[in-house]
Amino acid sequence: MIIQQKIPIISCERVSPIFSRLRFFSPRIARESNPGNFVHIRINDNNYPLLRRAFSIHKTGREKGTFDVLFKVVGSGTKLLSFKKPGQELDVLGPLGNAFSLPKKVSQDIILVVGGMGIAPLFFLASELCRNNKTDSIKINLLYGVKNKDEFLCLKELKDLGIEVIFATEDGTQGFEGTATQLFLKQTKKYQNFKKVKVFSCGPPAMLKVMSEYAREYNLNCEISLENHMPCGVGACMGCVVKHGKKNKFEYKRVCKEGPIFNAREVWLD
Amino acid sequence: MPGRCGLTDLSVKIGKIKFKNPVLVASGTFGYGEEYSEFFDLNKLGGVITKSITLNPREGNPPPRTCETPSGMLNAIGLANVGVSEFIKEKLSFLKKLDTRLIINVAGSTLEEYVKVVKRLNRIKGIDMLEINISCPNVKQGGMHFGATEESAHQIIKTIRENTSYPLMVKLSPNVTDITQIALAVQEAGCDAISLINTLIGMAIDSETRKPLLANITGGLSGPAIKPVALAMVWKVAQKVNIPIVGIGGIMNTKDVLEFLLAGASMIQVGTANFVDPKVTVKIIDELKDYCENHKIKSIKEIIGKLETQSIS
Repeated sequence: MIIQQKIPIISCERVSPIFSRLRFFSPRIARESNPGNFVHIRINDNNYPLLRRAFSIHKTGREKGTFDVLFKVVGSGTKLLSFKKPGQELDVLGPLGNAFSLPKKVSQDIILVVGGMGIAPLFFLASELCRNNKTDSIKINLLYGVKNKDEFLCLKELKDLGIEVIFATEDGTQGFEGTATQLFLKQTKKYQNFKKVKVFSCGPPAMLKVMSEYAREYNLNCEISLENHMPCGVGACMGCVVKHGKKNKFEYKRVCKEGPIFNAREVWLD
Repeated sequence: MPGRCGLTDLSVKIGKIKFKNPVLVASGTFGYGEEYSEFFDLNKLGGVITKSITLNPREGNPPPRTCETPSGMLNAIGLANVGVSEFIKEKLSFLKKLDTRLIINVAGSTLEEYVKVVKRLNRIKGIDMLEINISCPNVKQGGMHFGATEESAHQIIKTIRENTSYPLMVKLSPNVTDITQIALAVQEAGCDAISLINTLIGMAIDSETRKPLLANITGGLSGPAIKPVALAMVWKVAQKVNIPIVGIGGIMNTKDVLEFLLAGASMIQVGTANFVDPKVTVKIIDELKDYCENHKIKSIKEIIGKLETQSIS
């Protein structure tokens, strides 16, 4: 069941000049959210902006009944959202979309490939994976790429999770010089057999295109989280579709309904 | 407690078909109804209008298909739909169970296609009316050419009229020189109601990449940005025709609905606003009751076309 609620913001944090984190209070949404799900937020009651904006769920505090969204200020909608204050209530739909498939009793190693804002949903995934992996039976690697080291987010939280993070920056200011996908290719050379690895990825469209090509080339077991303009967010408008299936025999799937999580081998991004 | 006590009559009629209230959901904004049934009881609506149904399944246009514009949005979905056979087999059973009026929107590329779809829908119990889409701006042969001239509009509606006994609502395009002439032509061809307006052709460009924001380059503009255009067209058409008008265009709230009714619409369709607030239609229906109660209006029909143009100062 999709929940539509007016819910209060309980904290707003400017993580950096261009990144913001909002924490909402909604025990129902917090309880029912899984990594990969998103919420559709009405930013204003007037017509500016008119349409809701979709945000991955970044974190939940189930005991406190909260969930967070983490976003980059890129346009007028996110700018207005970044100025919201604690106590203000917003109309939110959620949780929406499908979720990452969490390996329950899997012995596979897990690689999370993150580009930029892709950290928003993949941090939620990483924390759930760690919660299910108390015995440390599986190895979780996070490959995290950004343009410049100032754009790394959630560093303390990632440290607290205790997973191995390998950093990449396009300008070489920290870690591997290059993109997250280049780092992924370099790292995965050590894996003799990709069948033993499960990959989850989220990042900008160009990066996910590369990941889906790698997934086909190396027959990876890889799930990616897509984003798109979503007028309705609930599957009614057919506005947010992605090519899905075989290259010459595809159909359009709705990112908001059949996604946003897809098998990387099955989507065709332009 | 104002309103809600059932004294106010919100019902309206198109031909012999009675609707429990004047609020419909616009084609293409409500899928086949199932998505929004998670949010509210669809039986509260005056009626549901489906996505456009074509003879064969259509994948629709390549993405990106939508973008936001000031107080509006552009879409170029491209009539993506499951086709009439699959619609009857898979989608109709859910809709038929509803206790509200069911209107099937029909589109096509050729006159024969429209007729074939209409014939497939004939004699299916539970369908109350057809809305004929001669105004989709996003497909080369999407029907808009039928709605572009009086002759072609007249011919297609006359032919469909001869092939079905369903009441017909014809959805008109605003992308014409004089919408009142098209309205008169389809009235003359025997339709029972006219719905207007479909989207206005629009475009958005990214000046950095020098690319259009829609893969289709142009799309259909909807949302509050088009409401003044829609109101003027409804008012103009209302001066000319004597069949009911169904107003569409940027309706976001109860006040907007009342404006369309005053301009001469007997019913309205809510489109883009469904995306903004999935429950907007039920809010409007409740507020219409309150409005009538507070203004001592016994029947919503009393305000249809009651625009006062005499003493504007």
